[in-house]
Amino acid sequence: MTAPLIFEAVALDDPHGGSVSLEVPGHQTLCIVGDGGSGVNRLAPIALGLESPSVGRALVYGEDISRMPRAAALAFRRRVGYVPAGDGLLQNLSLWDNVALPLRFGSTLSPREIHGRLRIMLAAVHLSERDWAMRPAMANPEQQRRASLARALAFDPDLVILDHPFDGIGNRTAAHLLEIARGGETAEGARRALFITGQSVPEAVRSRIEVSCRLAKGRLTVDS
Amino acid sequence: MAVRVLMNQVWFTALQAVGLVIVLAAILSFLVISQAVRELGRLGATELIGALMVIAIVRELGPLLTALIIAGRSGTAIAAELATNKVMGEVHALEGMGIDPVHYLVLPRFVAAIVSVFGLLIVFDLVAVFAGFVAATSGGMSGARYFDIVLQSLTFTDAWLTIAKGIVFGTIIGLVPSFHGLRVQRSPTWVPIAASQAVVTAILAIFVCSALFVAVTS
Repeated sequence: MTAPLIFEAVALDDPHGGSVSLEVPGHQTLCIVGDGGSGVNRLAPIALGLESPSVGRALVYGEDISRMPRAAALAFRRRVGYVPAGDGLLQNLSLWDNVALPLRFGSTLSPREIHGRLRIMLAAVHLSERDWAMRPAMANPEQQRRASLARALAFDPDLVILDHPFDGIGNRTAAHLLEIARGGETAEGARRALFITGQSVPEAVRSRIEVSCRLAKGRLTVDS
Repeated sequence: MAVRVLMNQVWFTALQAVGLVIVLAAILSFLVISQAVRELGRLGATELIGALMVIAIVRELGPLLTALIIAGRSGTAIAAELATNKVMGEVHALEGMGIDPVHYLVLPRFVAAIVSVFGLLIVFDLVAVFAGFVAATSGGMSGARYFDIVLQSLTFTDAWLTIAKGIVFGTIIGLVPSFHGLRVQRSPTWVPIAASQAVVTAILAIFVCSALFVAVTS
């Protein structure tokens, strides 16, 4: 079976002239850590076709999103869950409306169906009803990250890309969010494949990551 | 949800600016017509007040001032808001979720700007004509004569020019600040620069288009 996400000699455009080639296997969690100048920050945007590498390509389900026409690229990205660095929640919307955004714009569900699905999703990420009306600026980092993850899982994708998902949150929340993102266990492994980037990974979640890599000085090394 | 964004924009751009437009239209029209009644009355040419009201105020100054008010008030807000969206990573996140930022962020503002300019233009014209009436009657002219000469000066050209200017100026106010707002890089220092560039470019474009309207219709 083809890996849901493949990086083929993607140039990092870092001072060391490094590049990344790897596959994110289905039903597994792959994490790459590296410091700010290592180029790790560019991998998630490159995977989603939001940035184009100078050399190499990233394939999601066998497709290079950066080469798609704009409308096709937007539609294709709905097949992938995305938690951007800094959460990317719209500040003028409540947490509820932020999570509802992809469903309202990218699905044919009725308002009643969206409402029902939102209640389930927000409960799954442990956001209580009193949190739903909060604007992101009023929410703490953990609540923001929970809402961002709920939004990423709106279409129940098989692949989720998490860009610096553990920044500013505690070990317990990190472990909980990772479990929700994995979507439970199947005979083949986790229900979803996860691609995680960040500067570090909390101790509490290391045991749940099947493939852990480190990016430094333009070289990618696999820790486990 | 885009409809909600549109309604918010119309609320901010049009309804919250109604008071300002009414005050400016009333003062401008009152000053111009009260002076005109006095000076033209000396020459025995008070019938020119109709042409002055329609050509100078309804056709030219009304649309120009209305567009400038909205460009200064809402153009800066649009540019600053979209620039902040960009700096905060919200535009990037929208694209990552498969939502077109142009559809979600620009289109409602564009439509709202056209609706707002057009609506406020009509408000400006109505208030200007009424303030002109007050000025004319204060200067000794009868109300019936005032409305008679104003209505005689109004032509079909004034109606379609109002519609055309509403669309063109609204398009400028909707698109120019959006372009400058979304063009910023991910640094907060760009937000005020984008707002400033947006309003300067929009005002310049409004003046140029206003001149082009005169060139085309004269």
